[in-house]
Amino acid sequence: MEPTFRILPVLENKKLGPYHKITLKDAQIYKCAECGNFIMIGLQGFDPYLHRPFSFLEVNRGSFSILLKIKGRGTELLSKVKKGDKLKVLGPLGKTFCPPENGVLIAGGIGIAPVYYQSGWMKGGILFYGAKVRKDLILTREFKEKGFKVRTISEEDGGLVTDLLKKHNDELNGKQIFICGTNEMIKNIKRILNKEQIDKTYVYMEKRMGCGLGGCKSCAVDTFKGYKLVCTEGPIFPLKEVKFD
Amino acid sequence: MIDLSTKFGSVELKNPVLLASGVWDLPYTKIIDFKRLGGVICKGVSLKPKEGNPTPRITETPCGLINSIGLENKGLLNFECEILPELKKLGTHVFVNIFGESIEEFRKVASKIKEVAGLEVNISCPNVSRGGDKFARDPKMVFSITKAVCEETELPVIVKLTPSIENIEETAQAAKEGGAMAVTASNTFPGLVIDIERKKPLFKRITGGLSGPAIKPLALYNVYKIKNAVDIPIIGSGGIADYRDVLEYLIAGASAVQLGSIIFNNPLAPIEILDNLEYWMIEKGYKNLKDVNKK
Repeated sequence: MEPTFRILPVLENKKLGPYHKITLKDAQIYKCAECGNFIMIGLQGFDPYLHRPFSFLEVNRGSFSILLKIKGRGTELLSKVKKGDKLKVLGPLGKTFCPPENGVLIAGGIGIAPVYYQSGWMKGGILFYGAKVRKDLILTREFKEKGFKVRTISEEDGGLVTDLLKKHNDELNGKQIFICGTNEMIKNIKRILNKEQIDKTYVYMEKRMGCGLGGCKSCAVDTFKGYKLVCTEGPIFPLKEVKFD
Repeated sequence: MIDLSTKFGSVELKNPVLLASGVWDLPYTKIIDFKRLGGVICKGVSLKPKEGNPTPRITETPCGLINSIGLENKGLLNFECEILPELKKLGTHVFVNIFGESIEEFRKVASKIKEVAGLEVNISCPNVSRGGDKFARDPKMVFSITKAVCEETELPVIVKLTPSIENIEETAQAAKEGGAMAVTASNTFPGLVIDIERKKPLFKRITGGLSGPAIKPLALYNVYKIKNAVDIPIIGSGGIADYRDVLEYLIAGASAVQLGSIIFNNPLAPIEILDNLEYWMIEKGYKNLKDVNKK
């Protein structure tokens, strides 16, 4: 589907764990958004000047939502939108992919958003999910309802997602694996996986983005095949292709 | 019928609105109707592929952004075989932005590019360690590169100048003497962003190039300075976000303008600007762009 640029109204902005779940009113995106797609969202005017890329969280008839974590000035301003405010929306963007019916999803913190969106195309599997504190672990009930086995851990409980993976490594065998988390987390996971598992693993990458359409070449990911752009060649990349240092 | 066409040197455009080099690529055709544009300047092409700078490559600033992309491109051969045929289908004038690390490289690239509206010679990128805006700071070098490119091509040659010198008139004059048909004033301004967590510059190459509405008055002043000192057509570039900005550039002396980072803020800006320019002319009772300067 071809992306469009439109001004859409906010239906709801509510807290979900430590994040903001922002829902926009729209009757087009659901017809065309596919697994792997993301969207650029911006406030009207010049402050902030750039849009921010977001994974879809949910796409429904008549609306879609994103999950926002305040990281800087731009996301702080975006977090304050209220029902009825209008936002600039460019999308759907990114390279789509066909997820397996059953697979392994690994998320750290807000990395839950794209894997949650991806789970909508799957029949089940296992979710490994880590966060700083227990109450930050959101959407676990929804994953279970979708037929996923959910394994969670928090730093508060003294563990990282890598500890879960070490303990249940055999559950990864033969499955396609999708990771969304910090570079640090992905690097540590890569150390745990065996070659066969690495070959079946894909990572969601995030970079500062200018345009979302391959124009500005800002969102480059360093890979063993040279720089690749998150916006047009991602957001997912094979784990074995990405350089993390 | 409002006539927005503009003519400078041997170039005739249906309107003065061009898309600048380095901000757009072919996926933008899904959003912008390129046939409406006066023309486009494509991403810089070098002889050999260039992988660009490490990330981060971009960050936002008040009313603008700073980039440190480093002229990532797949090189001349790929450009000729893969990109240029696609650009020719856009239905608008295509100017090819070229750059090199030496006069010889500029010659080689310039000699190979044919059947386009013109060349824009990029001697002013602030984000590369070899060549880049060091060339554009030195009037002798500006003259030599311009002359070399003009010797290699029959296409109209536009030289993109750096804003980071005191007397841009001198480099505009040097470009003229080298045989340039026009100059672009101007490229991004060098600037710095500090990462407060890491307590050092955000970009690995320390500085980046500032663009966006924040620089408009500065770039506009460069156009004005050149207009009053050198008899050469000027393409104004820097911070245009609105049809009124286009008018300011035209009144300051530009023959055409380039839109850059505004398409990140609003991908439809080029079309909205063209529509609003036309409304403004209708309201004023103007018929063509020459009327814009009517007192």
